[in-house]
Amino acid sequence: MIKTSEMQVVSPKSLDECLYLLNDQEKNNRLIAGGTDAVVRMKDKKWTPDIWINIKGMNELRYIRKDPSGIHVGPLTTHTDIVKSKLLQDKADVLTFAAKEVGATQMQNMGTLGGNIGNASPTGDTIPALYVLDARIELSSLYGTRTVPIEEFFIGPGKTVIQTDEIITDIIIRPQDTSEIGIFEKLGPRKAQSISIVNFAASINLDKEGHHCSSGRLAFGSVGPTIIRAKKCESMLTLDRFDKSLTHNISKVAWKEVAPISDARASSNYRRDMASALLERGLLRLMKRWENK
Amino acid sequence: MKKIQFHLNGKKETVHCPPAKTLLEVLREDMGLTGSKECCGKGECGSCSVLIGDEAICSCLILVGQVENESIVTVEGIGLQDNMDVVQEAFIKEGATQCGYCTPGIIVAAKSFLKDIEHVPTVEEIKTALGGNLCRCTGYQKIITAIQSAARNKFALSGEA
Repeated sequence: MIKTSEMQVVSPKSLDECLYLLNDQEKNNRLIAGGTDAVVRMKDKKWTPDIWINIKGMNELRYIRKDPSGIHVGPLTTHTDIVKSKLLQDKADVLTFAAKEVGATQMQNMGTLGGNIGNASPTGDTIPALYVLDARIELSSLYGTRTVPIEEFFIGPGKTVIQTDEIITDIIIRPQDTSEIGIFEKLGPRKAQSISIVNFAASINLDKEGHHCSSGRLAFGSVGPTIIRAKKCESMLTLDRFDKSLTHNISKVAWKEVAPISDARASSNYRRDMASALLERGLLRLMKRWENK
Repeated sequence: MKKIQFHLNGKKETVHCPPAKTLLEVLREDMGLTGSKECCGKGECGSCSVLIGDEAICSCLILVGQVENESIVTVEGIGLQDNMDVVQEAFIKEGATQCGYCTPGIIVAAKSFLKDIEHVPTVEEIKTALGGNLCRCTGYQKIITAIQSAARNKFALSGEA
């Protein structure tokens, strides 16, 4: 295994140069952006590339803009950029709430949205938010680009459909309707900086009074090998008046719909209980916010 | 080995070192600036915090090869004994330090936080902003008081100017 002192760091000046470097399959190379996961794995000797391809300063992949096809967020957009974006606060509130819960200030300043997606941690905080915003991930290689819906993107803990010569070049999300409101809830051992035990994102369409829900999307993280879109729970949103008793009933179904494991951080049953509680608490908070809007 | 240049505490510096060394290791071993500390090495404790541009980051999680031509400020750049910053003065006056290991990181994080706001922060605001910095001695009370007092002094000074 290569020593850290022998690793090289190459900083491509453009996306083309980066794709060219990634295409060189003879070399054992790996992308590094914010470093909040990559450097930890380097220290643990899990990731030991000969060459780090440093894309941190590649500003052409750091943007937030809107066009008729949706909101485009560049993969090198930091969590701090997301939290501060007026466009996202207005049209993708759930993503700004999730980005605010990623670690503490230092991690939000360093970590990128593309990194959170590419590392595919089942606990990644932005990922449930991207599920409820129907995100599509654009991947590029020297040979072209393809766009993958987020539901097909993750194939297991730490595993995605990204090929070794590909890089995430765009994240396209659906702007929320004016009748839509989102929320993100997270449970971790510590308020800041902690890895989620369970997290939950919702984005829901409500009528003016907030009494009825016409459609909604609910997603849980950390309770399965990848994110779980809780479709049974979603189908219940529109069944009855959107109130305390409905959310309580939905939360009971959530207990069954998630599929958590037991690990060092929490037991499976505890995660089920908490998924259920976060859903109920999240939807009640969402109602409050809608009333005050 | 690679030649890497960056601005450190306002001065242009050049180091010759392996580019996958962390910035923290370079600061401590190559530059002799031992204010920034390594504790958890994973971005959980904040004791290695430095400013890049004007944002606080964990210097233990960034490779020195990633900071070419960047402007870095460590706790030494914020102030030393003879030119202390208002934040550092407030920490001394309030006795906001015990073993002192976390203090440099907290000074850096507090400096970056106070730059962004124009009021004396509430306890809750400070807890959120400093959530990435752990202290195992003080119980945080005096740290919070010191940051509020630094904010008051900062606005008093800028009011006079």
